[in-house]
Amino acid sequence: MSLLTVSGSPHVHADESVRKIMYGVLISLVPAMLVSFYFFGLGAIIVTLTAVVSCVVFEFLIQKYLIKGPVTICDGSAIITGVLLAFNVPSNLPLWIVVVGSFVAIGMGKMTFGGLGKNPFNPALVGRVFMMISFPVQMTTWPKPIPLNTQLTDVVTGPTALAVVKDGVGRGEKVSELLPKVPEYMDLFIGNMGGSLGEISAIALILGGLYMLVRKIITWHIPVSYIGSVFIFTGILWWVNPDIYVDPVFHLITGGLMLGAIYMATDMVTSPMTPKGMLIFGIGCGVLTVVIRVFGAYPEGVSFAILIMNAFVPIIDRAFKPKRFGEEVKNG
Amino acid sequence: MNKIKIIKKGIITDNPVFVLLLGLCPVLGVTTSAYNGFGMGLATLFVLFMSNLVVSLIKNFIPNKVRIPSFIVVIASFVTIVQLTMEAFLPDLFDALGLFIPLIVVNCLVLGRSEAFASKNDTFSAVTDGLAMGIGFTLALTALGGLREILGSYSLFGYSFIEGDGMLVFVLAPGAFIGLGYLTAIFLKLIGER
Amino acid sequence: MAKRESTFANMVSTLLIVAGVAAFTLSMVYNVTKGPIERGRYERKQAAISFVVPEFDQLKSKNFLPPEGRDSLEFNLAYKNGELVGIAVQTYTNTGFSGYISAMVGFYPDGTIYDVVHLEHAETPGLGDKIEKDKSDWSDQFKDFDPSEKSLKLKQDQGDVDGITAATITARAYCDAINRAYVTLTENIDESHFKLEE
Repeated sequence: MSLLTVSGSPHVHADESVRKIMYGVLISLVPAMLVSFYFFGLGAIIVTLTAVVSCVVFEFLIQKYLIKGPVTICDGSAIITGVLLAFNVPSNLPLWIVVVGSFVAIGMGKMTFGGLGKNPFNPALVGRVFMMISFPVQMTTWPKPIPLNTQLTDVVTGPTALAVVKDGVGRGEKVSELLPKVPEYMDLFIGNMGGSLGEISAIALILGGLYMLVRKIITWHIPVSYIGSVFIFTGILWWVNPDIYVDPVFHLITGGLMLGAIYMATDMVTSPMTPKGMLIFGIGCGVLTVVIRVFGAYPEGVSFAILIMNAFVPIIDRAFKPKRFGEEVKNG
Repeated sequence: MNKIKIIKKGIITDNPVFVLLLGLCPVLGVTTSAYNGFGMGLATLFVLFMSNLVVSLIKNFIPNKVRIPSFIVVIASFVTIVQLTMEAFLPDLFDALGLFIPLIVVNCLVLGRSEAFASKNDTFSAVTDGLAMGIGFTLALTALGGLREILGSYSLFGYSFIEGDGMLVFVLAPGAFIGLGYLTAIFLKLIGER
Repeated sequence: MAKRESTFANMVSTLLIVAGVAAFTLSMVYNVTKGPIERGRYERKQAAISFVVPEFDQLKSKNFLPPEGRDSLEFNLAYKNGELVGIAVQTYTNTGFSGYISAMVGFYPDGTIYDVVHLEHAETPGLGDKIEKDKSDWSDQFKDFDPSEKSLKLKQDQGDVDGITAATITARAYCDAINRAYVTLTENIDESHFKLEE
């Protein structure tokens, strides 16, 4: 997506295009998608399809009739926004809310600023946070995973692992008493837990991330610094008092951290351009995520953290300008 | 100055909210419903009208160096009158606006009009300006309040048309910014500024 | 009239006159509105009290300090034909989602809750404001609630009160306010209500 962000010349031609990158991202999303279809069944498929279709339709309508500019729905960016939006909501979310969220993501998050490449905030996250604040009841009713479930209604719901721990600690219970109430770590890692559609399976998201790394769609800086800083920060808290702070591994494999670090924070349009900037961006996201998770009112803070850091990207980019071609590195 | 031009300026071309972006504290704070926005608009309109009237009457009596404190005393008096009267006779509206009524004093729109217009023009123009600016402010607040009420609680002026809670974000603070942003954009587009 | 010069005497006299006129006007308005404002406040409190206790013909009010918290609670003792029929306690909590919440809690003389009504709050519209009687029937569950047998805590806190979906903090705070009234009441009540009425 950053291809439209004009940086200093020369523009080295590489064998890539917006389209190619977008479809690369889509391919990398397949494992996580399959896991969510497996655990949440038909509901997950319908929510994903609704989000993708409505994102593409809204993008088409706005580009064609409101902006009256070229229609670029074929570049796949709206499809990705749709998939990521669906990945960030529970699988039993009423479909009209999905449509509203898609409209906000595309209309408010992207088109208001002029479309692809000009949006300061990640559109899917704008949509998610909008839904999160607007429909808190529906957005926090998490279905429990039932492998290969084909039923649409009457799913059993329950709180996410993070919410269980946060609520319990808030009541003064010890972490060691609370951990038996959440799924085993191995289940959390594979994705056998309640939560948003696409965030459940750490392993599938890591697989997708590795694919994108190999294809050079993303670089390692943001995911590693993001996840690393969450690990270190929660590790320190855990070391200080393991009774009220849960261990860092738990923080890594629950909630939306993997999804956020690998797919949301790395969005080329809304993240810094230089490696140094990316590292700072990732650390900022990590610290904010932990602050919100541990000290804030919400049990999960990934989406808020990334949106807040999105706002800092222009400043970060100004501080760490890409070196001009041929520019001499000053000594000292 | 041409009275019709003053009125047009106050309501449209210099609309205090959408064009001048003045007095944003009440604009963002109280517009959770059309009724609240309308009430706040009327309160501000009254203060604007009266303070413009008084300021233009006493403008020659006030020495230049103490004009700002004098204007503020005039404005604050009218605000306090509004506050007391509203608490006495419209307690429900007062409950909703409560905190924001005293803030009319520091609403830069009111002092701004006294300083920039009433203290330099004749009484009739000043009163017209206060009225026009007040109407422009009221319309803007009612529009924003209406938008937020429709989306945030599926009702308008308290009449609910869909059951349910609505999109809460529009009742909360972020919705005020989002709504104001889009309304400003639409308004500027309509009057052909952009 | 030409503009007056900014001499010291002019400035002082102008400010004096402006302030004097303003003060005079305000005092007039204050006198006119004082009556209705006080009547309004009194009526609203009276309405809240008669909402939460059985019918009464005489009211006596008294302040008690709760075991926790710095501000005292106002106890309104309601009598019918000289006999104590209910106690309306104006209570508060600072643990709401947006801080301060105040409520009027009515008890029978045996400590069972008659009814509860909120007075002031700044909770989230659509979520936390379900504590209001006209927004939701959530607070009706406190009717005939006996805090000596049941626990004034949310079900998810191992108590007996249903929470409000997506507004747990508000519901918890409301329980805290009611509990504060109840604890203060039990501290000051005995068989003959002597300490309470004395």
